[in-house]
Amino acid sequence: MNDFPKMMWVSQNTLRFAFSEEISQESFLLVQHFNRFIRKFLQHQIIETVAGYYTITVYLKGRQHVSYEKLLEQWQHYQIETMNGSHLIGRELTVPICYDEEFALDMERVMEHTKLSYEEVVSLHSGRSYAVHLVGFLPGFPYLGELDSRLHVPRLQKPRKLVDASSVGIGGRQTGIYPIDSPGGWNIIGRTPHRLFDVKNNEPTLFQTGDSVTFYAITKQEFYNMNQERV
Amino acid sequence: MKPLLKVTRQGVHASVQDYGRFGYRAQGIPVSGVMDRYSYELGNQILNNEANAACLEIFVGGFEFEALSNHTYVLTGAVGDYYLNGEVLESWKSFRVKKGDILSLKSAVEGSILYLIPRGGLNVELVLKSRSSYPLANIGESINVGSILYGSEVEPLPNMRGLMGDYRPKFDTVVQVRVYKGPHFELFTNESVERFLTHSFQYIGGNRMGYYFKGEGLLLQEKKEIISEATQFGTIQVPSSGEPIVLMADAQTVGGYPIIGTVHEDDLSKLTQLRTFGSVMFHLMEEGD
Repeated sequence: MNDFPKMMWVSQNTLRFAFSEEISQESFLLVQHFNRFIRKFLQHQIIETVAGYYTITVYLKGRQHVSYEKLLEQWQHYQIETMNGSHLIGRELTVPICYDEEFALDMERVMEHTKLSYEEVVSLHSGRSYAVHLVGFLPGFPYLGELDSRLHVPRLQKPRKLVDASSVGIGGRQTGIYPIDSPGGWNIIGRTPHRLFDVKNNEPTLFQTGDSVTFYAITKQEFYNMNQERV
Repeated sequence: MKPLLKVTRQGVHASVQDYGRFGYRAQGIPVSGVMDRYSYELGNQILNNEANAACLEIFVGGFEFEALSNHTYVLTGAVGDYYLNGEVLESWKSFRVKKGDILSLKSAVEGSILYLIPRGGLNVELVLKSRSSYPLANIGESINVGSILYGSEVEPLPNMRGLMGDYRPKFDTVVQVRVYKGPHFELFTNESVERFLTHSFQYIGGNRMGYYFKGEGLLLQEKKEIISEATQFGTIQVPSSGEPIVLMADAQTVGGYPIIGTVHEDDLSKLTQLRTFGSVMFHLMEEGD
């Protein structure tokens, strides 16, 4: 049975639950599981929740009484009820990326740092499935883990003033995609023709915490074709 | 849609705001909404508006408007030099404007943020269930010379209404705010924690995303990479400079700086009204208070 996360009041209307402090697939699953639990059991008391790498932050509708003991008991029941794990399956998305030099502004820096060839960088980056650990920093920005350790490259010393929307970056142990034009310090290695953030959609963001994502490489021609279809 | 006002002179910054955009933080979309909720709420009460009616939030002043129709308004928040056709205009009291009138909001004198609220609220498109602007994501329109503010046709107020002086909030140059311990409180040195809770910090500038403070550095016991987690309006982050930043209404939804504390929601209004070089003192709340 999983441990109960530590609970603290961040402010009078905000509760924070924390599992052990780490970035891992285990803590990702645990956080997703607990997030579903808390959204269900406090559904009438909460505005919204934000799941992080090891934390779940719960924004309450004003000051609420929340009993730690009662939650603990319910969480144990919930875990037994949901033991088969089917509840943990999020959406599986496949996302095209063009790694062409037109978009891959930092590919040379990445190749130099990793001593990998262009083809190796592309195949390592697109060759595995990533979990959306967290969405934030910018509207719809997905923090994706875990990046193959051979692709761990430090962030730019001086962040770019402007990274174009839909640019794909790697930084440290993570990879992500910029949803809107913004400053940014990650190494840019490609671009997706997809739009990640559109306020006119019912679901304004392409990615949601808990999704799993696989990338596949496309040519520049395919990129522009898809880009046109999108409009 | 009733055209109310045309902007004829623009100041530092103004934006349309309501209570905020709730329910989208998990997707990285900030709450936004008014900075000084207290002044905003009182303004809507004075006009008998719906609690969530949209207003124009103005930093420091510098705006002038030409009235495009007859309508009733109130000004709340910062007290300052405000004029209607050159006559001194008192804030915290409803007032009527006739087509062609010139409304000049020159400068805030006490406090830094003022609210111009029309009877019935501003009429702007709802985006993700809120009328609040969030320019970073191109939500809402920027307010510049030539912008037209729209309202709605509403029953006029039967009487002019206002709030007596004693009931209006005071805007001090030194504010005392209550804080909760942040998730990383224990990572700071004892000396830093003591400084945080006993010294004042000077406000040196900021915007709707965050206010920057200057003071003796707040340091971690040892260098540590913080794993990003949720933040909110009132989160007190400490970057490596050791000088605290309080996140404001447009707070990003997650952050990776150590969080030493969080400002009590009820004390945010007075904090937002600080003027440059004013200062704040933080007082620790105990859990459960």
